[in-house]
Amino acid sequence: MAVLNRDKMVGLAEKAVSTALQKGAAEAEAYVYEGQATNVSIERGQISKSSRIIDRGIGIRAVVNKAVGFAYTNIIEDHDAVENTIQRALNAAKASKPDPDWKGLPEKKPYTRVKENFDAKISELHSEDLVKVAASMLESASSISKRVFPIEGGAGAVYLSSSIANSSGVESFDKGTMMECSLAVVAKDGSTVTPVCFEFNAERNCNVDPEWVGKEAGRLALSALKTKRIETKTTKLVLTQFALQELLYFTLINAVKADNVQRDQSPFKGKIGEKVAPENVTIHDDGLLPGGLRTWAFDGEGVPQQKTAIIEKGVLRNFLYDNYTAKKEGKQSTGNASRAGYLSTPSVEATNFHILPGTTSAEQLMAEVDDGLLIYYLQGAHSSNPVSGEFSVVATPAWKIKKGETVHSTRGVMLAGNIFEVLKNVSIIASNERKMGQLVAPWILVENVKVIGK
Amino acid sequence: MKDVLTKVADVAVQRFGAEYVEARAQSLYKTMLTLKEGRVEAAKQGIENGVALRVLVNGAWGFASVGSLNIESLTEAVSDACRMAKTASSKLTAPIKLAEAKTVKDRVSVKPEKNPSEILMEEKIKTASAINKTALGYDKRVKSCTVDYLDLTGTSSFVNSEGTVIEQDKLYVWSRITASAVSNGVFTFSREEIGSTAGYELFDKETPEKIGITVAKRAAEQLEAKPPKGGTFPVVLGPEVVGVFVHEAFGHLAEADLALSGGVLAGNIGKKVASEVVTFYDDGTISGAFGSFKYDDEGVPAQKTLLIKDGVVVGLMHSRETARKFNVAPTGNARAENFRVEPIIRMRNTFMEPKDHSFEELIEGVKAGYYFKSFRGGQANLDGTFQVGVQEAYEIINGELGEPVRNASMSGNTLETLFKVDAVGKDFKLSSGRCGKGQTAFIGDGGPHIRVKEVVVGGSA
Repeated sequence: MAVLNRDKMVGLAEKAVSTALQKGAAEAEAYVYEGQATNVSIERGQISKSSRIIDRGIGIRAVVNKAVGFAYTNIIEDHDAVENTIQRALNAAKASKPDPDWKGLPEKKPYTRVKENFDAKISELHSEDLVKVAASMLESASSISKRVFPIEGGAGAVYLSSSIANSSGVESFDKGTMMECSLAVVAKDGSTVTPVCFEFNAERNCNVDPEWVGKEAGRLALSALKTKRIETKTTKLVLTQFALQELLYFTLINAVKADNVQRDQSPFKGKIGEKVAPENVTIHDDGLLPGGLRTWAFDGEGVPQQKTAIIEKGVLRNFLYDNYTAKKEGKQSTGNASRAGYLSTPSVEATNFHILPGTTSAEQLMAEVDDGLLIYYLQGAHSSNPVSGEFSVVATPAWKIKKGETVHSTRGVMLAGNIFEVLKNVSIIASNERKMGQLVAPWILVENVKVIGK
Repeated sequence: MKDVLTKVADVAVQRFGAEYVEARAQSLYKTMLTLKEGRVEAAKQGIENGVALRVLVNGAWGFASVGSLNIESLTEAVSDACRMAKTASSKLTAPIKLAEAKTVKDRVSVKPEKNPSEILMEEKIKTASAINKTALGYDKRVKSCTVDYLDLTGTSSFVNSEGTVIEQDKLYVWSRITASAVSNGVFTFSREEIGSTAGYELFDKETPEKIGITVAKRAAEQLEAKPPKGGTFPVVLGPEVVGVFVHEAFGHLAEADLALSGGVLAGNIGKKVASEVVTFYDDGTISGAFGSFKYDDEGVPAQKTLLIKDGVVVGLMHSRETARKFNVAPTGNARAENFRVEPIIRMRNTFMEPKDHSFEELIEGVKAGYYFKSFRGGQANLDGTFQVGVQEAYEIINGELGEPVRNASMSGNTLETLFKVDAVGKDFKLSSGRCGKGQTAFIGDGGPHIRVKEVVVGGSA
């Protein structure tokens, strides 16, 4: 199905805003969304499925007497359905309670041209092309060893676009693409089966590398076959992007959201300008990072995305704001309003959470570790205390490092601590940066983490 | 709607030679609220109409989803699905086949005492505000309270090429309440979740006052709690923690798709994997429970499925595809979150059967260990490694409850741990929750109090 063009999307959004104002809204905003995804799936080691999902919708915020109402529908071609949705947003606002802190929708601001977030070739991909990508990934994994067994995965191509209009003059349209391939494998040797090892590659253009994904997943699983228990102790950890992504999403990223800071849910409250990490730690939230998986011209409210320094040389500099939390403090939004398509109202979220790389290569960083653990996959990070930053998670598999080399894997190791202490104990940041969801980071060496073996 | 779906299914069979076709249409209406410290962030309403089309051609699946009920769009989508299935079948070594399912013609209606779609938004805001007011009023150290509310009503229609035609009313009421407390640089966090498929009368049992106090009390008490010692300890688990353990640590392994994907249970059917006091069910037929429904999203009736009986694995949870692989009957566990996604194997209400111990008898046997009363989250790996994060815990010293402990978690290998369950309580509680497996499913889980001889406890002290 052909995608909706700019004029059509913007037209829908603007019409909805003017209708809402006619019906009595003091302010109104419309968010029009389209997503088209084609996927090929691997299940139980074989390509056995292909799917195509087309999702369109409109979400409308109507403000009446400082109370916000929201309604959405996925029937956007039908004039009456959209009219009814606008009316429901108004009704919801009228049923709600005024919010004295509501200071209006965002005003229009110029957008920066974003780089490398759209590749026309992705829109032209068919399931046949994706079957080839998936097949190449499967063959690469199996080529590593007969002991490697692919389980599930797939390849996908996505086109996304959105348009936002509001009664304060915002009028916007942006489109982007994404392609990804992923594979989960285990290795088997006799009765030994490894835990699942997973790799993927996601890009905004169509240059994904299925062979690397297959081989790397296979290599990890194979190296997890030799496994030994480890003792309980305080040790050094090399955290890969997999581990960082899990840990930070549920702890550090929460602590820098203005919403949580304002609501006494962040230990960083009142600490702007203070040292919270060693000098080698610099973290930006960069909504404009070229090729970033969360790079867009504007956020979920039509505010330009930007680069915001969160931690610079160890010093806490800024929090992440959407329009509401910014206006509450008399500040400017940092362009961090996020939406789950047309189904939700905006909320504060990081864009590309970028831990700036150091100059040490991953190999050099490993060489610095006389005794420690290499951590990939974590279980249970979502059960961290999102307010205090305390975590108690399981790493499985993880790899024991001795004299700079991984010597065997280990299973079910528990790591316990507090993310803010971990941050203070970062000793080396490597240079091997990669993108993973909202995280852009290299490997990191941290000291003094409590590890509970068996 | 049924006639349109039947026509579309016919196109796939007649024009593309599909072996099997199903069309699932939904028209759903949602109300959502988020209140933060009593402020209504936004009162939200939504309509979602769409159709999911799934076909089996040459032994491979094709799937298309469209947000339209229009026959031309659906015909285009089903044709697309058939062509994609053909493409996907090009590398197939083991063609997919389905277990037989009885043809069903049925109309399922819900009869709530209080239908959420007939309750005014004002009333729902009042209920959420009352929860918030109770929580923040409980203790001045409780600084924040978020109340999320959702109700969903509507109809789902299912038609397949075998002649099954089902129309099913849907009804869910759900709320999650979180609170945090701060004192002297200590931050605590507490959450509670409630849900029902019966109706808005959920709040007559789980009154705003009751739930507000539960959440706030826990956040406040945790301020005085200490971190646990890491290491191997005996534990007594409360019904909520047993529920999440049964669901996460065992339940996912008993989902036949995961068992077939290298999970540890595939080779253990008929074998003893737990001590004799362990019996687990997954039951979709409990009236009003959050994980209950009459037919799953393949048109198979939900049932009460026995998973472990007296320590022996007797069954898994199946879709029609996996049931055929195991040569058993489908169990009615194929669920799809909405029309955008295809049905996959999901749990319903998963629980452990109670036995004969009192709570006192359970803790009496513990010299130095922990009582894990309430959980924050859990996760499992196919190799059987599980983790459960605990939000409310106490020490047990010489058979008596001691001081509160915060941010504990437990881990182990499921099959090893199940053998270490040495006593099972006589109480029982089923809780409501949501499970993520790419899609979100509404589920129930629970059980009695139990004692486990040893698990690894994660703690920083």
